Amino acid sequence: MRPCFHPVECVIPEHMLESIATHGTSAQRQAALNNIRVVYQLRAERAMRASFKGLFDSAIPRAINNEKERVIYDAMRRDVLPGTVARREGDAPSSDPAVNEAYDGGGTTYDLFTKEFGRNSIDNRAMRLDASVHYRTGYDNAFWDGAQMVYGDGDEDLPADERLFNRFTIAIDIIGHELTHGVTQFEAKLVYSQQSGALNEHMSDVFGSLVKQYQLQQSASEADWIIGAGLLTGNVNGVGVRSMKTPGAAYDDPVLGKDPQPAHMRAYVNTVSDNGGVHINSGIPNHAFYLTALEMGGYAWKKAGQIWYTALRDKLSENSSFQQCADLTHQTAGELFGAGSLEQQAVQHGWAAVGLTVSESGGKPKPSGCLEATLRFIGAA
Amino acid sequence: MEFTQIKFERSGGFANIRITAELNPRDLSGEQAIALKELLDELDFPKLPTKLTSGETIPDEFIYTITVEAEKWQHTIIADGAPKDAKIQELLELLNRLARKKMRNS
Ligand SMILES: [Zn+2]
Ligand SMILES: [Zn+2]
Repeated sequence: MRPCFHPVECVIPEHMLESIATHGTSAQRQAALNNIRVVYQLRAERAMRASFKGLFDSAIPRAINNEKERVIYDAMRRDVLPGTVARREGDAPSSDPAVNEAYDGGGTTYDLFTKEFGRNSIDNRAMRLDASVHYRTGYDNAFWDGAQMVYGDGDEDLPADERLFNRFTIAIDIIGHELTHGVTQFEAKLVYSQQSGALNEHMSDVFGSLVKQYQLQQSASEADWIIGAGLLTGNVNGVGVRSMKTPGAAYDDPVLGKDPQPAHMRAYVNTVSDNGGVHINSGIPNHAFYLTALEMGGYAWKKAGQIWYTALRDKLSENSSFQQCADLTHQTAGELFGAGSLEQQAVQHGWAAVGLTVSESGGKPKPSGCLEATLRFIGAA
Repeated sequence: MEFTQIKFERSGGFANIRITAELNPRDLSGEQAIALKELLDELDFPKLPTKLTSGETIPDEFIYTITVEAEKWQHTIIADGAPKDAKIQELLELLNRLARKKMRNS
């Protein structure tokens, strides 16, 4: 017999949870919402989200007064999320650097999206920024679980001369990267596999790097365009885990091997690993973005970032391909800066350099993610 | 459960630094080999479903591919980084440690 891995779903039917959440007493309601949150974390599927959208929305913790609100938790090396509150919005710094990094990095990411792109937090509806640090032991990873950020401490459990990773809050672009997975979840909903998955990764690297550039107030030519600088220990021959400037050159190590990212469509990697190479082929659009931003000059978030953000929010959809991303960012550049503008030309040049020719019309407007899904559902697309 | 070789790959994760190794019983200490054989027994490894993913894809989760080869059979499973079964989790962590050690020493 297969064990039941998700007792909440199995014991309480979802319609009952919904009924309790709507009609129950305040304690019942809170319990139901907590359970919905568990279900939400376990099954952040699109279909599930679509059918229970209102319910999930009510389960998302939101900031009061539409302001920045961060809660950093300490998972105490266990795998139970979120853990114990370690620092709330406005609290003095903790003695724990990981807590402060998660707090500060989350804050800068929030500021970039709010002040530069006019976005009201991850969901554009004041979602509270929850993050847990010290997740499990020897956990060399960070991820967005559909509701919060989660950071491990690297391989701190190994002897110092065997460690490959430092703690995952150490680079601010990792924090920006994880939060952007949240933004993508609420906007284009790019399916995490093959090209759409590589675009999902690409968007996280773009805005992760922009968060770092925004914090340092660096122009496109001053920035290092490295993802995860400082994450690898001195035992590894590498400057980070990816390079948008020179994909494939972030690390080359006798033990770990070489950075596998291509910088051009002719080197596109077909693989079943890594969900179809989502962290590998993202090198191609990453490099196109770098070249575009460099040609535009100045702060990359002002123009290139604006174009990419608008495309992510309004144009891209679940199954978008690299070609569609090229066409749609080109189209967006035309709408924001004018057809034939230097900005639109920079986008065209960026994609051309990685082997993608944008269609001259700029591509016809695509139905947005939800509309497209609905049309597909009723057999109209 | 006796085996002749185990092929292990961990891909994905934020860093996507691939951990991969082919482990033979002779690579392992007596203690490690016993622990591994016991785990394979307890899991009834050849009967595990091929896909042990949690149903949805969480960005930056690890993906594990494990092939166990024995004299008379071989079986592959694909699991993600959040298996809800503690024994599977134990197997993934043990193999990851052994694979890392082997990568370093080869
Ligand atoms: Zn179940
Ligand atoms: Zn990612």
